[in-house]
Amino acid sequence: MNGVRIEGVRKTYGSVDVIHGVSIDIEDGEFVTLVGPSGCGKSTLLRMIAGLETISDGTINIAGRVVNDVAPKDRDIAMVFQNYALYPHMTVAQNMGFSLKLRGVDGMKIKSAVDAAADILDLSKLLERYPKQLSGGQRQRVAMGRAIVRDPEVFLFDEPLSNLDAKLRVQMRSEIKGLHQRLRTTTVYVTHDQIEAMTMADKIVVMRDGRVEQVGKPLDLYDRPANLFVAGFIGSPSMNFLPATIDGRSVRTADGIELPADDLPLGGDAPRKVVYGIRPEHLTIGADGIPATVTLVEPTGAETVLLLTVGKEAVTAVVKDRLALSPGDRVFLQIRKGAQHVFDAGSGVRLD
Amino acid sequence: MSNNRLDAKTRRSRLLANAIVIVLAVITLLPFLWFVVMSFKPADDIFAGVDGFFFTPTLENYTSLWSDRFAASMMNSFITSSVSTALALVIGTPGAYALSRATMKRERTFSLLILASRMAPPVAFAIPYFLVYRYMGLLDTRLGLITVYLTFNLALVVWLMRNFFDATPRALEEAAWIDGASLWKTFMVIVLPMSGPALVTTAILCFLYSWNDFFFALTLTRNNAMTAPVEVVNFMNYEGWEWGKIAAGGTLIMVPVLAFSLLMRKYLVAGMTAGAVKG
Repeated sequence: MNGVRIEGVRKTYGSVDVIHGVSIDIEDGEFVTLVGPSGCGKSTLLRMIAGLETISDGTINIAGRVVNDVAPKDRDIAMVFQNYALYPHMTVAQNMGFSLKLRGVDGMKIKSAVDAAADILDLSKLLERYPKQLSGGQRQRVAMGRAIVRDPEVFLFDEPLSNLDAKLRVQMRSEIKGLHQRLRTTTVYVTHDQIEAMTMADKIVVMRDGRVEQVGKPLDLYDRPANLFVAGFIGSPSMNFLPATIDGRSVRTADGIELPADDLPLGGDAPRKVVYGIRPEHLTIGADGIPATVTLVEPTGAETVLLLTVGKEAVTAVVKDRLALSPGDRVFLQIRKGAQHVFDAGSGVRLD
Repeated sequence: MSNNRLDAKTRRSRLLANAIVIVLAVITLLPFLWFVVMSFKPADDIFAGVDGFFFTPTLENYTSLWSDRFAASMMNSFITSSVSTALALVIGTPGAYALSRATMKRERTFSLLILASRMAPPVAFAIPYFLVYRYMGLLDTRLGLITVYLTFNLALVVWLMRNFFDATPRALEEAAWIDGASLWKTFMVIVLPMSGPALVTTAILCFLYSWNDFFFALTLTRNNAMTAPVEVVNFMNYEGWEWGKIAAGGTLIMVPVLAFSLLMRKYLVAGMTAGAVKG
């Protein structure tokens, strides 16, 4: 019971590197999401943990055992696939009990394990149906049931909710999280949806181009993104980025607009090019502040999304008040104290 | 107004299309119809021209066939066709699966070579087969014919089933591996049960190829292993051409072909379009 340790793992197809030396520690019982844009290597990494892809270099350790050369079936894992991968010619009960049957478990024991899992997932009435007779959400639950029945060391989820409609996705999201809170099985969950990652995970691993950009708790990633990529990826709508220059006394945009710089280490007198980041929800409309022009108003009921321009840069603000604004109006933006992020313009690394 | 005119136009073109289809169908099927009708005519009416248009149907052609060697040749046809089909499926399906799933260099070349053996004209193989068979004592045996049909059907099975496997998602197999199944077990328990329609389609095509074969049966058999299509031709002999028997024999040979096509129509179409559209 030692969770999963990934150390210096690489994946190479011919001369192309897909994963460039990734190291991640997943504690026992932890819910970790691998998140990133498509092609970032998150699914490949998951498949390497599962044993469906070979490991070109480095080691993967599951529950205190290096599994590089261990077959998938002997890794004590269960995987839920994006397209569910239910066996179409088997009933729900047969699907869920398949792994136990292969291990030669006695029929009565299989039945009680399947019944217990079906009970947790509210599938008891569907056990004799075939996958094609189920709705998308039910199929998803059967796929999870198949994983639960095995009582594995690690659950692996490969974008399990991406084939469901928006409403069902939110529902299944809380079901999976509830399931994890109940079973406390180590879980690795791959998604491209940062909201899924934020809401479900104990720990998020943000990946890009086969590298880990940042590892941390959801709110740490939100509050202190390590670089521009993570800052732009986590949060919805995305963080606003304003190219600016910092010179020891103030921060100014290319158009000469001064931006608040409380608590910022402004560095030496030599001007330095930076990117000034501010989340849309940390902007408010005030009597004075940064001058901006409204280009679009999107009321959502609970809040209002404003698209504005500051100088030549487009900026999004999300405000709680219902404002009587229309395109072309000139307003002043205020930034919540200390909510700004400053990144180096060249490397994209966080400065403060 | 313009709508009505458009409707009239579409209706006219639809009528025209239907008419063309019917004419083509009649042209294609008329010889068969004529053939089947002929098999029920008394010998005297067959060439009676217009007078023979109305006749009393008789089964004498069929009964005389049955007293002849024809029954044995039908049996030969059935055994060689079904055994070669079954063997081709048993050997070819795992091979097709391996080709589809293995990551192998020059894999396309291998697949193409397998198909090439099917594309070559039979006559290119006839003389080598004849000589080898004479040497091995396989001439005029069912085993000899089964072997020939097997070599041709194997290529067909590998090619068709490989395309089918290529189009089936691998996630199911991966799920089975993680569940604890070996490669072979996955193939038997997960892959094969899902391949039903494709297997049926392939089996029909193999069976019909062997069943319809004339060339190899003609060159490689004499008496014992002679199949029905060759036997029918023997009714054209120096004593005269027994048209009634030829027609009756031909009709009997067509029966399984028609039966298969009609019974398995659903599978044939499903199998042929398998993988074309995401299911």
